[in-house]
Amino acid sequence: MQCDEAQALISASIDGEVSDVGAGELRQHMAACVACAGVQADFRRLSQQLKSAGREILPARMETRVRQALAQATAEQRPVLVRGKPWVQQLAAMAAVCLIAVFGTWSFTRYMESESRIEQDVLSAHVRSLLQDSPIQVASGDPHSVKPWFNGRVEFAPEVKDPAAEGFPLVGARLDYIGGRRVAALVYKRRLHTVNVFVWPSASPGDAAPRLIPVNTYNLLTWRHNGLTYWAVSDLNGAELQQLQALL
Amino acid sequence: MSSRTTFEQLALPHLDAAHNLAYWLVRSRPDAEDIVQDAFVRAFRSFATFRGGDIKPWLLTIVRNVAYRWLAGRKRARNVVSIQEAFAPRAGDSVGEAWIASEEPSPEALLIGAQERARVLTALAGLAPAFREVLVLRELEELSYNEIADVIGAPVGTVMSRLSRARGELRTRLGALIEKEEKDAM
Repeated sequence: MQCDEAQALISASIDGEVSDVGAGELRQHMAACVACAGVQADFRRLSQQLKSAGREILPARMETRVRQALAQATAEQRPVLVRGKPWVQQLAAMAAVCLIAVFGTWSFTRYMESESRIEQDVLSAHVRSLLQDSPIQVASGDPHSVKPWFNGRVEFAPEVKDPAAEGFPLVGARLDYIGGRRVAALVYKRRLHTVNVFVWPSASPGDAAPRLIPVNTYNLLTWRHNGLTYWAVSDLNGAELQQLQALL
Repeated sequence: MSSRTTFEQLALPHLDAAHNLAYWLVRSRPDAEDIVQDAFVRAFRSFATFRGGDIKPWLLTIVRNVAYRWLAGRKRARNVVSIQEAFAPRAGDSVGEAWIASEEPSPEALLIGAQERARVLTALAGLAPAFREVLVLRELEELSYNEIADVIGAPVGTVMSRLSRARGELRTRLGALIEKEEKDAM
């Protein structure tokens, strides 16, 4: 065994960290090596001196300081949980309100736009029908002739009535184009006034009570019944238009 | 019981050891105090990762890491503090506090005497940090080789050889100090 190897074992033996085999080998070396015997004595003394020298003195304030730092660290951790959450909730609530407002406004405007567009379409179709030679493609006062005429022309079967006895004779029918779709148009007379009644399947379910919309000098009356949307339009007064509605 | 109470009960008894290691690594009292505070806060924050058992090696590992980060951060041109600076009493120290282990010196302290203590600590201060820390952990903190290996993140064999070399170096330096004192006395 070399002396530097022995020195490592001496050091470890002082610390009680040497194996039995190592201890045996060390004893053999020590018996023959005076220098290493001196090293062992010195190492022992050094170890003793260091142990006796003791730790660096801990300032009395250190414990208070650390306790305060730990308390502060705890306080800093908590707000992250307590203050952070409502902040996130507030943000989420604000975002939700914004979203609802935006979506609400958007769908309302869209609804209003489509409503007024249909009004415009209905009125235009009515006026256009009066500009032409005849507002009808099929001339018949007989609902049983008019209703089958729509077969294959529109994808629904409009209800056709002839309230001639009440002063609203059915003149005939035609096809028209309103709100981007083909619709059934029924034409009635009231004295000299022409009444166009446009019919198409409703987008929304359920019935809706008649609503009178005066546009310029015309009167528009709309309602929903049995899955169909009706728009009656004429220069007839509102009361008489509603009278016709009740008969259909 | 809050986790802070648990942590304090386990960790605060080792404040002394933590401070001692920090001091011997950076050899500056105010810095050692800052390092200890920082290390305890870090230890508390990662207390969840502590797997039980003896908390002392775990705590000292953190102290050591903080101290080394501090040393790296300082990157002082002069890495070795002069002996006078290291051992001269500082502002706030009572005279002699730096020289005596406790208010009431232990029998051992009286036995080896102030001069001998000063000499061995001066020699220790002159060692490289790698040697200094193994000696502090072994002789002052009385950790086993396995525990020291955990703290310094090295194999047990390295701990053994490093301690041996540290003792050899300490022995040489102490011899030189004694020689110089004798020469000065003459």
